Amino acid sequence: MTTPSGPPKPALKTSLPSAFAATNAQQPKPSYPELSQEQQEKYLSARPGATPHHLGVALQHAHQIQAQKDAEDLILDHILNLLEIPSSPTADPAAPSTEDAQAFKSVMAPFRPSDYDNLILERNYNQQCGYVLCPHQHRKEDAGTGSSFHFKWGAKGSGPGGRGRSMDIVSRDKIEKWCSDECAERALYIRVQLSEQPVWERRADDMRGKQIVLLEEARAKKQAKSAAPTSHSQARKDVADKMQELKIQDPERARELALERGDTSAALRDGRVDFQIRENQQGSRRPVTTPQRRPEDTTGGSIEGYVPKDRRDQRTADHEDEDVLDQI
Amino acid sequence: MDGDVPGHSADADREMTRLWRTWRTVYELLADRGYEVSDKELQISLDDFRETYSDPLGFPDRTKMKIQARPTESMKTKYTPLPNKSNPNPQPDCGTIYVDFCPDASGVGTKQVRAFNHLVDESNYHTGIFITQTPISPSAVRLLSGVPGRICEHFQEQDLLVNITRHELVPKHVLLSPEEKLRLLERYRLKESQLPRMQVSDPVARYLGLRRGQVVKIIRKSETAGRYASYRWVI
Repeated sequence: MTTPSGPPKPALKTSLPSAFAATNAQQPKPSYPELSQEQQEKYLSARPGATPHHLGVALQHAHQIQAQKDAEDLILDHILNLLEIPSSPTADPAAPSTEDAQAFKSVMAPFRPSDYDNLILERNYNQQCGYVLCPHQHRKEDAGTGSSFHFKWGAKGSGPGGRGRSMDIVSRDKIEKWCSDECAERALYIRVQLSEQPVWERRADDMRGKQIVLLEEARAKKQAKSAAPTSHSQARKDVADKMQELKIQDPERARELALERGDTSAALRDGRVDFQIRENQQGSRRPVTTPQRRPEDTTGGSIEGYVPKDRRDQRTADHEDEDVLDQI
Repeated sequence: MDGDVPGHSADADREMTRLWRTWRTVYELLADRGYEVSDKELQISLDDFRETYSDPLGFPDRTKMKIQARPTESMKTKYTPLPNKSNPNPQPDCGTIYVDFCPDASGVGTKQVRAFNHLVDESNYHTGIFITQTPISPSAVRLLSGVPGRICEHFQEQDLLVNITRHELVPKHVLLSPEEKLRLLERYRLKESQLPRMQVSDPVARYLGLRRGQVVKIIRKSETAGRYASYRWVI
């Protein structure tokens, strides 16, 4: 999701070569080596009928797959690094040190919720609480009865109708992920902020997952906000200003669109499809006239190429007559 | 037998027997892949196994359970790629295999896998097989497959309790050498992509340690033809 301050998205989307030529120029040099001229010729000579365009498309797809693999390796590296956090064994999960919090937040960007689950699992295997900034061990229930579920009682007066206690039945592995309920809340607060989309498919302006907020920070901010509410008229004026700024054929948005469509490869500089716009003038050249009567129309003509029998006989007879005449 | 090792609990006995079956399957697996394995190792009896690999309490001691095996000559020829212009003298792409049983009863994650990877890399083994009691975490799986230049595989003990290739419904799989593969493709005038396929994650492919691009011959019994051979390209 974009931040609310961003301009609204245009409904009609066209990606024109001119639009992404600018993006191509800005692209940083890729990490993988470019194919040498010799390699390209070797590839093309081994495949009769292949053009440099085919090679370009093949390379683009190969690079996409490589980028995916790189991203997955990066996430794995981050998971391994996050096992070392927090750096001090006495750290307080409610008030983590700034370095740890910063390190944690900065590497969360490429994570998906499933990757985050892997991280929690990995920490639990390492005898740590699932919340990254918590130094404690995770809970271990007595496995005595072999029950895989656990009753969880709420505070007094939290039951239905304000009487008794509320009760939850929670599976044991869910409880054993964390050291305490507070840590569970903190960790899951991070999880809902992550983007479901894999990092190689995300848009450049996708802010989801990039600005991770810890639960404590969010709470502090919320309190500050409720103390000083913003005026409604100001918000309305902001929207009006944004509407003024909207325009069609914005090069900025066109570049964004090219990026979104993946039209950024150098091989596809001219677009995926080579097209030229040509106006169709055929119809307007000749003035319209009423249809002329042709000779075969008197007998009814053919029906989709089929000429009825009696009519056909008549016609062949005519032809024979003509032939005779010609011969004479 | 109970006389010389008194006080063994039924639990210890059961675990020992299970592990013995896994152990035998591992040796059968090595033999089927073409590693040098002696008959004595292949047919180790439960008593011998218990004597060698149990701790004083009668429970299996997995830290003692490590196997190394060298490939036989016939396996080496099967794994030697065909010579070509740039590589006129190809070396076989196989080497010593190392099998390790993980002693941790639960929660096998990146820590243990990293240690295993390190060991395989340090001792210069070509292939490593990591056998655990429980499933390993997804990141550990990724880590295991990410050792450059080496092949690390993972099995769970319970997957190897029985040897699946000995089941009557599993046909015989025979790996073709590069030369046999070339002959097959020439005989039927095929490209390899025109063969039927089989996944690397297929249980039999995992058992035989097949790699992408290899071709296996599958021999089935047929009521009409006696034997029927089909081929699979591993992808």
